[in-house]
Amino acid sequence: MITLKNITKNYSKDTVLDITSLEIPAGQTFGLVGNNGAGKTTMFSCLLDLIKPSTGQVINNNVEIAKSEKWKSFTSAFLDDTFLIGYLMPEEYFYFVGELRGLSKKQVDNFLIQFEVFFHGEILGGKKYLRDLSKGNQKKAGVVAALLGEPKVVVLDEPFANLDPSTQIRLKEILKDLSKNKETTILVSSHDIQDVTEVCERIVLLEKGKIIKDIVTSPKTLKELEAYFKG
Amino acid sequence: MFLTFLSLQWKSFFRGESVGANVMAKIFKWFWILYFAFLTPILGLITYKVIKEDFQVDDPFLFLNKNLIYVFGYWIVMRYFIQPIPVVSIKPLLLTPISKTKIVRQTLGKSIFSFFNLIAFFYLIPLTFELVDNGYLINNLIGWNLTIIAIVYITNYLNFLLNNNDKLLYGIGLMLAIIKLLEYFSIFDFTVYSEALFYSFYVNPLFAIVPWLFLIWLYFYVFKFFKNGLYIDSGLKKKTTEAKIDDFSWLDRFGKTAIFLKNDLRLIKRSKRARSTVIAGIFFLFYGFIFYFQEDIWGSWMTFFGYLFASGGFLFMFGSFVPSWDSQYYSFMMCQNIEYIEYIKSKWSLVVIGTVISTFLACFIYSFLGVEAVYAVFAGGLYNIGVNGYLTLWAGAFTKTPVDLDSSKMAFGGKKAFNMKTLLISLPQMVLPIALFSLGSYYYSYLAGCLIVGFTGILGILLKKQVFNLIIKAYKSEKYSTLKAYKQT
Repeated sequence: MITLKNITKNYSKDTVLDITSLEIPAGQTFGLVGNNGAGKTTMFSCLLDLIKPSTGQVINNNVEIAKSEKWKSFTSAFLDDTFLIGYLMPEEYFYFVGELRGLSKKQVDNFLIQFEVFFHGEILGGKKYLRDLSKGNQKKAGVVAALLGEPKVVVLDEPFANLDPSTQIRLKEILKDLSKNKETTILVSSHDIQDVTEVCERIVLLEKGKIIKDIVTSPKTLKELEAYFKG
Repeated sequence: MFLTFLSLQWKSFFRGESVGANVMAKIFKWFWILYFAFLTPILGLITYKVIKEDFQVDDPFLFLNKNLIYVFGYWIVMRYFIQPIPVVSIKPLLLTPISKTKIVRQTLGKSIFSFFNLIAFFYLIPLTFELVDNGYLINNLIGWNLTIIAIVYITNYLNFLLNNNDKLLYGIGLMLAIIKLLEYFSIFDFTVYSEALFYSFYVNPLFAIVPWLFLIWLYFYVFKFFKNGLYIDSGLKKKTTEAKIDDFSWLDRFGKTAIFLKNDLRLIKRSKRARSTVIAGIFFLFYGFIFYFQEDIWGSWMTFFGYLFASGGFLFMFGSFVPSWDSQYYSFMMCQNIEYIEYIKSKWSLVVIGTVISTFLACFIYSFLGVEAVYAVFAGGLYNIGVNGYLTLWAGAFTKTPVDLDSSKMAFGGKKAFNMKTLLISLPQMVLPIALFSLGSYYYSYLAGCLIVGFTGILGILLKKQVFNLIIKAYKSEKYSTLKAYKQT
């Protein structure tokens, strides 16, 4: 379970994040929506100890993030292209992440088999470094690396952006499959409300750093969100 | 037009994240420019005399012409490494209503006033005065000078073509080496032709028109080349190379450190910037010779300084950019299943392994100078491992300049990581060991000086745990601002 208590983040006078209380139970598929500048990336960054919140605390499965680094062993993330090591080949990148999570090469290879369709023959066995792949293919590699080693918490920022339609559909299936076992907490943010409503059980709407809506996904959710964003 | 370009550069400079470091780098750059601008004319003035008296040559001017072929060769190689080519900043201008011809003319025109060209005038003018003074004919010298200037500008525009073409560069380097070897073993002497060729411009000053015609042709060629390259899929695109997996699994015996070690080796192999930094570090191995042959002038403490540097090439060149080498994916590293201290330790191990290898290589190289030199090199190596390694790493916590792994420019071109703290730590890194050595060698013996320095290093190695607690504190408190600064590339 992930708990955010009284989290605020201020830059000089602007408050970009202000969450009094948020609890994400273990195994939930959690969606975060909001316009540009709503604080989605900031919230994820606070969760991963990349940004230090001005006040409050983040607790990830009984580990207080500001005090201990133990959360790293069961949490993984893909936020943006700074999560890729450009001079590595995709295989080397997967092995690297795998090794840090205690997986052997063989285990990583076995894990990657299930993503053959998702990769569409453009990631593995190529002759390119990650820096030379297209944005979409880079994202594919980054997202799959974040799923390596059975993490309990997976944080993905805008995983659907930059992907072609087929890949988007496949990624949604992958995330849905993963959520079925109810052991992995998945946190996803997106600009595309349709994608999020399809994948997530629960959707939180942020605006100017505050939680405006917190809904359990139902067939009505998409209409509700559309109505909100229309203004 | 020119003002628009200027104001763009001005903004990119002052609105950057690390303005302080930028200013320091600029100051440093100007320091070197002034240094050379001061030194070069003096060099021009004394060339004639030095060649005549020290080299015992009858006609220094002939000697100069004889060696010009090497001068231009090295000139091209040096330019390639340090003169920046402003290609990348052009991209955003493509969609503006500035015509392509203007962009190219601007870029090529600006390089006329590049320091690398102006320095030639700084040398040639005093040299010419000296030559006239010694009875050479002024009219003929004008022709000769014009030739040299034309060639300097030819190398200037050649550099535009050479940029991003390693093979051509290595070709030139190899050719120079072969020419020199052929001359050394008296198989074939190119310098005879160099002498005849360049001297002919003195004898017949009108010949100078030939290099100038070539220069004009080259200018238009480069102009066309550049203009045609102004598409993002051709000239402005970064070159990609075919990738090959590097296994390095033989390193696995080093445990968790090996995971990072493998990546760092790949970094050095595949990133131009990292590679050229390591190569520059290798040259440090020979640093000791500079002072060894001048020991009468400087004294033994300077020789010791040279030996200390010899084993520290990797540490000073590569190590001072740790952890900036990982700047492009630092947030990724911060989220992986490894504690910060483990990550920092693995970086330290890399620097130490590099230093241990350099120390052994240096010991081998300097063994030709006798056992005393080996003692000093070994002591210096211990100090580099036991003290300087920590200091460099500690300073790294405050060095927040991101490193662009895909560009190869160093020193003058790229922003080097400068800030006050990095400059300040060079004091204990350099001054302290020399002071320790001088203390020992002055009161006791040369060997005692080496021993003191060496034991300080060993002491540092023994205190690893305590020192790391201090280092990790610095890293943890700087983590968030480092992450923020690295986002700016």
